[in-house]
Amino acid sequence: MNKHQIIGSRQKRVDALGKVTGAAKYAADYNIPFQLYGAVKYAEYPHAIIKKIVTAEAEKLAGVTTVLTCKDVPGKNHFGLIPNIRILADDRTRYLGDVVAIVAAENIKTANQAVEMIQIEYEELPAVFDPEEALKPNAVKLYDEGNQIVHHKVRKGNITEGFRQADFIIENKFTTQAIEHAYLEPEAALAMPDEHDGFKIIGCMQNFYTSHKVIAGALDKPLSKVQIIQSTMGGSFGGKDESATLVAVRAALLAQKTGRPVKMVNSREDSFIQSYKRHPYKMYYKWGCKKDGTIAAMEMKIIADGGAYCSMSPFVTWRSVVQATGPYYCANVKTDVYAAYTNNNFTGAMRGFGSPQVNFAIESMMDELAEKVGKSPLEIRLQNGFEQNAVTATGQKLDHYVSLKDVLQTSANESSFETCWKENKSKQKIGKKIVRGIGLACAYRGVSLGAEGVDAPSSIVYVQPDGSVSLASGIIDMGQGARTAMAQIAAEVLGLPLTRVHFQEPDSGRVADSGATVASRGTIMGGGAMKIAAENVRKIMENTAREKFKLSKGDIVFKNENIFIRKNKSEKKICSFDTLVEACYQAGRPLFASGVRNIAVTSWDEETGQGNAYFTFVYGTNIAEVEVDLASGKVNVTRFLSTHDVGKAVNKSMVEGQIYGGVAMGMGYGVMENFIQESGKAKTINFDEYYIPTALDMPKMKSIIVENEDKFGPFGAKSIGEPALEIAAPAIANAIYNATGKRIYNLPANLEEILLGRKLRRDVERGSVSCKIEV
Amino acid sequence: MKINLTVNHKNYSLQINSDLLLVDLLRDHIGLTGTKKGCEIGECGACTVIMNGKTVNSCLVLAVQADGAEITTIEGVANNGDLHPVQQAFLEHDAVHCGFCTPGMVLSAINLLNHNPNPTEFEIREAIAGNLCRCTGYQQIVEAIQSAADKSK
Amino acid sequence: MQYHKPKNISEVTELLDTFNGSAQIIAGGTDMLVETRYHQQNLKEHWIDISEIDELKQIHVIDGQISIGPAATHSDITGNDVIKQHAPLLAEACRVIGSLQIRNRGTIGGNVCNASPCADSIPALIVLDAQLVIDSAEGEQVKPISEFFIKPYKTILTPGSWLKNIRIHKMDTEDKFAFLKLGRRNALAISRMNFAVVMKISNHIIDSVRLAPGSVYPIWRRVTEAEEFLQGKKASETMFKEAGKIVADSMIKTSGRRWSTPYKEPAVANLTERVLCKAVKFDC
Repeated sequence: MNKHQIIGSRQKRVDALGKVTGAAKYAADYNIPFQLYGAVKYAEYPHAIIKKIVTAEAEKLAGVTTVLTCKDVPGKNHFGLIPNIRILADDRTRYLGDVVAIVAAENIKTANQAVEMIQIEYEELPAVFDPEEALKPNAVKLYDEGNQIVHHKVRKGNITEGFRQADFIIENKFTTQAIEHAYLEPEAALAMPDEHDGFKIIGCMQNFYTSHKVIAGALDKPLSKVQIIQSTMGGSFGGKDESATLVAVRAALLAQKTGRPVKMVNSREDSFIQSYKRHPYKMYYKWGCKKDGTIAAMEMKIIADGGAYCSMSPFVTWRSVVQATGPYYCANVKTDVYAAYTNNNFTGAMRGFGSPQVNFAIESMMDELAEKVGKSPLEIRLQNGFEQNAVTATGQKLDHYVSLKDVLQTSANESSFETCWKENKSKQKIGKKIVRGIGLACAYRGVSLGAEGVDAPSSIVYVQPDGSVSLASGIIDMGQGARTAMAQIAAEVLGLPLTRVHFQEPDSGRVADSGATVASRGTIMGGGAMKIAAENVRKIMENTAREKFKLSKGDIVFKNENIFIRKNKSEKKICSFDTLVEACYQAGRPLFASGVRNIAVTSWDEETGQGNAYFTFVYGTNIAEVEVDLASGKVNVTRFLSTHDVGKAVNKSMVEGQIYGGVAMGMGYGVMENFIQESGKAKTINFDEYYIPTALDMPKMKSIIVENEDKFGPFGAKSIGEPALEIAAPAIANAIYNATGKRIYNLPANLEEILLGRKLRRDVERGSVSCKIEV
Repeated sequence: MKINLTVNHKNYSLQINSDLLLVDLLRDHIGLTGTKKGCEIGECGACTVIMNGKTVNSCLVLAVQADGAEITTIEGVANNGDLHPVQQAFLEHDAVHCGFCTPGMVLSAINLLNHNPNPTEFEIREAIAGNLCRCTGYQQIVEAIQSAADKSK
Repeated sequence: MQYHKPKNISEVTELLDTFNGSAQIIAGGTDMLVETRYHQQNLKEHWIDISEIDELKQIHVIDGQISIGPAATHSDITGNDVIKQHAPLLAEACRVIGSLQIRNRGTIGGNVCNASPCADSIPALIVLDAQLVIDSAEGEQVKPISEFFIKPYKTILTPGSWLKNIRIHKMDTEDKFAFLKLGRRNALAISRMNFAVVMKISNHIIDSVRLAPGSVYPIWRRVTEAEEFLQGKKASETMFKEAGKIVADSMIKTSGRRWSTPYKEPAVANLTERVLCKAVKFDC
């Protein structure tokens, strides 16, 4: 039985009504009178010194209000973790998505025309597009400091000794591709000067606190004079951090210069060309294994393509280094993860954040090990998988409930994995054109940011005088359902129905800097803050109730819009919620409170890679069934089972939704998606060439939600957003192996990869858009 | 050029440029921003509207080609505040996540049920295959459409 | 851009003649409006919209032949009773184009005249021996579709001429046929390659076969090498496999070895075999 009233049930999303009627307003849906339209001039070489920018012609064009270049930025033109992302390219261009100049004009057509009239003189520099090449000593340097962005290490035990103990070695190279977030809503912003010498920016920013700082910094204004208003967001998946900030800050610069509102909307092509991607990885995995199936040594070298700028590379690769062994015992581990600058699109946060890549390698290695020692994929994982109090490669003892084997076994039972796997294996047939396979992958994942940074979001609860409730949080809703989860948490604490609770759009002046809505931390951290805020309001109400009704003993219970006193297990109604609210206001106690959630229990040693990386972990298992057409190499995913321990499902329907969506995105990663650049030029710049799964590509999926409540989460809740995605591709790759007997080493497992074991490329321009390049 | 068209049962008479696209007419000229722009080349379906009884990508229709046409956008689906059964089903099945594909998706679903009240799962998937969704994996959308069909029996 | 909306066929020809090379036809616009985004330079100043000329949307039987107006949409074709009954192969080909929204606007005339190598309707029209009626101020001429294409995206249409009608023979009810499309996903996919076939078989012996692949040769053609090989043979998987090899060989002979050949060679052979099997309902 559900011990809660609202938590754990299936509640309708609080913001869905406006979305089914068309009333919801996304950034590009805002217009205000006398707005101008912004457009951007792209770099013409991936790596070149900018000698001269001539804007005179463009400025003269009728309808053009202003043209700006880097010298017109009043404040800081650089930002980022290592502040080298250019709002407007200054010394050089470093990738083809660099913007050299921006234009504001009376309409978009004129703005685009003006862009064409901007002349730039370059001195072309040699460029580097391969991160391994970039790390070589004689490589072309993008920055004086060199091309290495970061090098993370994990050292455990003695790797030489480990390999000496091994009976055999498995050694493979795996590669993964760049991935576009492909949020359906391209980035957009509307910036306007306000009446008090400040600015207002409406936009779709996943990390609007960063956007806030970047914009204020560029405009040379104090943070308090710049107001960021979050619009309804059409998806993000990690993608609308710096990419959306760039659009917003360029709009703001134009608004500052012209004194007029400026609307800047990325086309899909702009979005592909400018935005950062998921890091492509090259992964060298070498495991020393024993005949009994255990692993004596794991040595991993991983190189990530960071592209032109440092977005989240240091953090993305840090998660990779922590999780590079998977949830498996091994006494001797040596892991090195590097990220390097290249003249490709910069790469950054994307759902998974460094885990989808390594999980593909780990889970493929695991299946290969099983094969070598004559075990099934399930047996080998049950043998090597983490149990209660296991110690990870980083030396962290897992003292939360470790459910890896539960989720493995549950999934295997539900899908009859062992039987199907053996049957398919025995049928690996030559001549048969369509073959079937089943594959398994599991993972553990550190929850929230971990030792990578400050993790302390805020929330606010305001019970208005009429008893309706306004909420605000530093965590934003980009489609994942934060508004609803937050409202459920507050409603639960206050004993109210969801209809009484209203989540207000975040705004940079309303809630203290809460960091980004990333790392699947929305519910566990932001929700945790919301619970504390609601409890703080409830305390004011409880105290008032005790005074007014002279209650000394017993617990005060908030339930069904009423207040009860509980003594010796019996409950007695004191008054209605509204009556108590009125009493509070009459007593001069406004019902407004904030809450901050800060779980500071992580640690990290950069030299040894040892420490308590995350305060808790989640566990999941995916099982994929595929049909592989040996005639064409086409893979169809026919069934999918996804099992996740989420701690506690705040809203079951939303958790399932996250799981299904994650599987779809992971399936795209596994078999079709590929952001292609040739010599730095993006070749897939719209959905005609960058394929994401359609409804006909997805099978009917099944999800199993496992709940082991965690002491750190509100009502025990942990995470699901990223876990949902990170093991779909390896489950599919392993299913392909079960079907064909051929292992996939390079994602995606597309037609050529299946038939030839490699990709094919052609280096010519497409003839016409209606017949696309084939890569 | 001058065109006349009906959008959500309302008549409009507009002076437009010949290269104006229907999606821009809807969004910028008559303020119906429920129709979304996701790719502008007919590959994502976010701008889907029903034109003369058929779904079209409004980014691939010239506004002049809609002269005399009858168009339904997402804003015209609910009847005096009463949600269409498909909208209702989308709410109940959690088929709305970020919501950016939702307007087009709902219109494709309504159009399907108008022509085929008893669709199979495959037919549902085929009918919405021109509407990309990045959030849901389509599962809850397919379930919602199925349930709207079942309920209208 | 200047937009023109002629009321009838003769006005179309007149307008084309008047603008003398600076005009082009628009029907559904699903290709052209994408071109405006990427290849504006390929487009002409005057657009002549034929999408609402009723007689250009008609599908009916004339003199035992099926007449298809070029402005018939892919949806019009897949839903048309005459096509379903007498040219089901064409209905199959049109059904896998793009998405429903695209099929509701895109037209068969546009698919043919755009001459994209991956067009799905063209291989079907090739094996159905379509005749194309071309109109211009100089008058009307009829050309077999096999003579219509010069190279990808280039047809024999001169600036003043346009595709007025498509005629195909009715298929026999006993005809074995199949259409096969290979894309990188199951909808909204550009064909990586496609195949259309029509066969006549009596007592398991192949009396005749017409086979045309798309995205295999520089321009479309029937694979007479494979057709001749199969004629008179007993329909069997072995024969179809052999025919597949012949198609793959002839592709290499015609186009040479290219970047894509390592993949296309086996895939073309395998899928040729499959489309033939599919036509006679073999499982392969």
